Amino acid sequence: MATLLYLESLSDCFASWRKEGLTVLAPVGEGALSGFREVERAEEANFDLLITRTTLKELFFPRTEPMLGYRIGKREIETEEFMPPVEGRIIFGARACDSAAMAIDDALFDWDYHDEYWFRRRESSVVFTIACREPDEFCMCTSLGLSPDSAKGSDVLLRPLEAGNGWQVEPVTDRGHKALSSIEQHLREGSGATAAPAEVPVKFDLEACRSWLANKENFESPFWREISERCIGCGSCTYLCPTCHCFDIQDEGDTYQGIRRKNWDSCSFQLFTMHTSGHNPRATQGARWRQRIMHKFNYYGGKFDVDSCTGCGRCTRECPVDMGVTETLQTIAAKQKQSERT
Amino acid sequence: MTPFENIYRPAIMKIAETRDEAPGVRTLRLEFQDPADLQRFRESYRTGMFGLYGVYGEGESTFCVASPETRNDYVECTFRRSGRVTTALASAEKGDLVTFRGPYGNRFPIEEFHGKNLLFIAGGIALPPTRSVIWSCLDQRDRFGKVTIVYGARTVADLVYKEELEEWGRREDVELVLTVDPGGESPDWKHRVGFVPSVLEEAAPSAGNCVAVLCGPPIMIKFTLASLKKLGFEEENVYTTLENRMKCGIGKCGRCNVGSVYICKEGPVFTAAEVAAMPPGEL
Repeated sequence: MATLLYLESLSDCFASWRKEGLTVLAPVGEGALSGFREVERAEEANFDLLITRTTLKELFFPRTEPMLGYRIGKREIETEEFMPPVEGRIIFGARACDSAAMAIDDALFDWDYHDEYWFRRRESSVVFTIACREPDEFCMCTSLGLSPDSAKGSDVLLRPLEAGNGWQVEPVTDRGHKALSSIEQHLREGSGATAAPAEVPVKFDLEACRSWLANKENFESPFWREISERCIGCGSCTYLCPTCHCFDIQDEGDTYQGIRRKNWDSCSFQLFTMHTSGHNPRATQGARWRQRIMHKFNYYGGKFDVDSCTGCGRCTRECPVDMGVTETLQTIAAKQKQSERT
Repeated sequence: MTPFENIYRPAIMKIAETRDEAPGVRTLRLEFQDPADLQRFRESYRTGMFGLYGVYGEGESTFCVASPETRNDYVECTFRRSGRVTTALASAEKGDLVTFRGPYGNRFPIEEFHGKNLLFIAGGIALPPTRSVIWSCLDQRDRFGKVTIVYGARTVADLVYKEELEEWGRREDVELVLTVDPGGESPDWKHRVGFVPSVLEEAAPSAGNCVAVLCGPPIMIKFTLASLKKLGFEEENVYTTLENRMKCGIGKCGRCNVGSVYICKEGPVFTAAEVAAMPPGEL
């Protein structure tokens, strides 16, 4: 026997949560406009989407976030701290790759300095992940050691029923248990057959990639320039990446009052690392793409014991010049294998 | 929930003193307005650490703390007016309020220097981080052996901390070697003329039981390291401090790394051996 949640009672679940003061967010919209937004009823959500275009991360790390307000007087500066909202949220219908990304970024935002803008949202959110039934050609979670029904970073894992009329419910965390207890009356005990998780082919040998990247000689390889020659430095891959976390801090306002904000930034941009003197340690697009790949598959793992990629495939799916992590890692893996043969 | 602690909140600082060091270069002495901020600073500041100095409405800029750990009631910074934030900081006057976030990063392990001879080498605007270590050591002079300071700038006018250079020059327990680049000397210049690496080789300080602290522009670092090698210094006994563009200063914003090394968290102080292990293309 398993716990089942039928689609027909989902709106009632949403209503129960909302009555408790929780906000319910779900994947809505289609194509370029799809993303997570607040919903009242189940019909507003789009569970047919393989993956939203924008990621879960913006619910925890917004594109722009006010941190401090300032007002400058003659003899004093008044500041106001903006706390992140801490009202409870149910995020219903995340994908395994996006949920796993949140767990990966926890390490960074807790690295000696605890970033409450991230963690307050994390602690007040319950993530329901729905296992994928069908991948598309860009999906590559299995290449990163994850799977379409991975529970990493999730509070509740939902496995779609074969009949398509609901899900089998598996609580993962205490937060997940608690959220389920609020909708107990809408859950059923039963034994509906669950659909097999999507079969996602492995696209590259991650171990081979790690070895090639760890070899210091390859840091100066002409490969970096060659592979990124068509990169236009638009930053889409970083903004649409569920784990990319780089940001800028900017003041918006004037000399008398305004707001200090944390804004998304991107390692693809030339200005990202440019010194005041004009010297730029990453002066070329090749150096910047190398940074992105090295950061995800070498530096991050060295520091936090996990790669900063979950294989969602968005960087490749949405790249305007058909680049992305997949091709780069496939090429790298092939290079490593070739060097092992010779 | 625990009280909200905003790691991006800066301390409010009052400018207690301003000093023009060289054309476009200014020093500010900043005093904490909130005793709790001062307390935190006194507990955590060690020489070599850096901070983010800011003016609301303009933003924040990263420089070292130029004052020594032995004088931790205030924060001094020395900077060149060159961008938006430094222009705002340079325009601020005594009594004005600015912001400070820090101290961040690692430090020069001066306890490990006890009983050793010290060689300080700095070029141009890189004297401020060196000066923090110099005073941190001179303020407990008897713990260290011979102290030699080699400092050069492009021109006489570009030398910073002129009063302190005079003071060091007068001290019998400090050997000061000053130089300016050829053509940068004034008619009354009594010190050396020449680039730091060659002046260093002429001064030829002994590498025996000696630790070198070297700060300067990349090109000077490169040639000075070669000179130090000639003089017999091991890379493990040469310390330097690196800078990169930073926004957060605490390992989150993702831009200051050289290879896998985050300057803000694992630096800014490194030995020459550690720098040599970094990918040169990213420095």
